[in-house]
Amino acid sequence: MSTNSVIKIKNLDFSFGGPKILENIEIDIQRNEFIGMVGPNGSGKTTLLKIIMGVLIPDKGSVKVLGNPPSQSVQEIGYMPQFASFSRDFPINVEDTVLMGRLGKTPSIGFFNKSDKRAAEKAMNDVEVLDLRKRVIGSLSGGQLQRVLIARALTCEPQIMILDEPTANVDMKVEKDIFDLLKQLNEKITIIVVTHDIGFISQYIHRVACINRTLTCHPTSELTGETIENMYGSHMHMVHHHHEGEKK
Amino acid sequence: MSNFIDAVSSQAFMQNAIFGGILASVACGVVGSYVVVKRIGYLAGGIAHSVMGGMGIAYYLDRPPIEGALVAALVFALILGWVSLKMQQQEDTVIGALWAGGMAVGILFISQTPGYSADLMSFLFGNILMISSDDLIWIGGLDIFILLIVFLFYKQFLALSFDEEFARLRGIPVERFYLLFLILVALTVVILIQIVGLILVIALLTLPAAVSGHYVRSLSLMMGLATVLGVLFTSGGLALSYQPDLPPGPTIILIAGAFYLVSLLVTRFGKKA
Repeated sequence: MSTNSVIKIKNLDFSFGGPKILENIEIDIQRNEFIGMVGPNGSGKTTLLKIIMGVLIPDKGSVKVLGNPPSQSVQEIGYMPQFASFSRDFPINVEDTVLMGRLGKTPSIGFFNKSDKRAAEKAMNDVEVLDLRKRVIGSLSGGQLQRVLIARALTCEPQIMILDEPTANVDMKVEKDIFDLLKQLNEKITIIVVTHDIGFISQYIHRVACINRTLTCHPTSELTGETIENMYGSHMHMVHHHHEGEKK
Repeated sequence: MSNFIDAVSSQAFMQNAIFGGILASVACGVVGSYVVVKRIGYLAGGIAHSVMGGMGIAYYLDRPPIEGALVAALVFALILGWVSLKMQQQEDTVIGALWAGGMAVGILFISQTPGYSADLMSFLFGNILMISSDDLIWIGGLDIFILLIVFLFYKQFLALSFDEEFARLRGIPVERFYLLFLILVALTVVILIQIVGLILVIALLTLPAAVSGHYVRSLSLMMGLATVLGVLFTSGGLALSYQPDLPPGPTIILIAGAFYLVSLLVTRFGKKA
């Protein structure tokens, strides 16, 4: 196995007990790659991410993250969820939110220590939210909150970052800022980002992984203008087809 | 009011009552804050009411009701925790069933105990004026245990109540900490039953923390302010109820409720202005 392979999936199938959600998935992600993951809603993107993070177990096939089974490597993955799964009125400030990313790296007993605080400070500095550190999360704008969540994912000093639609609720300007930031982070960290806006991010990513039960990878060099439109268009068409089938 | 101050300075039972209120407020401020931010007031209510079963059985067996309360609270906390982890779709129905079932068991056992009903009211509504020095030792010991656990695992409990999914992905054994947390809720419920009885526990568990949550910016400050408010409500309730000889439990709860409503209106109105 190549030492540069950080995520290697072979011949993977997954189902929740019914029809296959993912079928015959193969992908080999190299260190410092920037992968865009696209696919219609319900295509299995989040499921695949959860398998990579060891939350779901595949029916068949092998998954290696950093050469180990996913459950052993999950501490090395910084994760930014699609929806903030917490309530915005929770009494917690930016710094304490970012510190949560240290869980699993810090001793389990007692409070966060100095090196946790340093790591959090560095992460906040990297994503330019250090001046917001004492603000409660409820007072942040959408773009600021996204940055804080990226900082939380970064603060475990991950080798891999997985971001599930990091720019779903922000405007174009913030989206560009966030991807510029990710591009910077990508110098050291392998990044997988789920998105719908493939046209926009093609300037940032190296490869596109298209998921719709099966997975097809395209290098971005092959994708320009019309081909992107066609690829995404054909996927949209497939969703439509699926829905009709399900209703019957 | 001066009568009340005289009573506190001269009567041992009043001193016990004040001191009991202070000790109870510690558990209630710390654990209540978690209950409020994690939004499991209904589950905590289920634990509190089902404890009636254990108290009834202990009463029937001629054991101190607090022993039955402690056992029942722990057992029901673990059952309810398991239910909420494994049966999320029917969680509220199952909690409701255990809530009422526990109370029914308690009432049946009490009805079969000769000379029943005398103490029924103090189960249901508590009696802070009856707190003995033994009770204070019990309550103090439970306080110390609760604080110790919270100090050791503060960050896990924070992560669990803030963002459970993220905590799980960071390798925190979320289920185990959730059950441990419910054990703390159970212990707090047992403490508070001494003060206001099991019907009113849920108000004293949540209202100081909820008021506190209107003003603070961190969970630890929320716990601190909630504890201070708990002391204010219990002592205030004792003071107000003393002269007209009202039951202190309901008086405490009404003070807490009034504070909560006013605070809610003030913060809402303040935000709009």
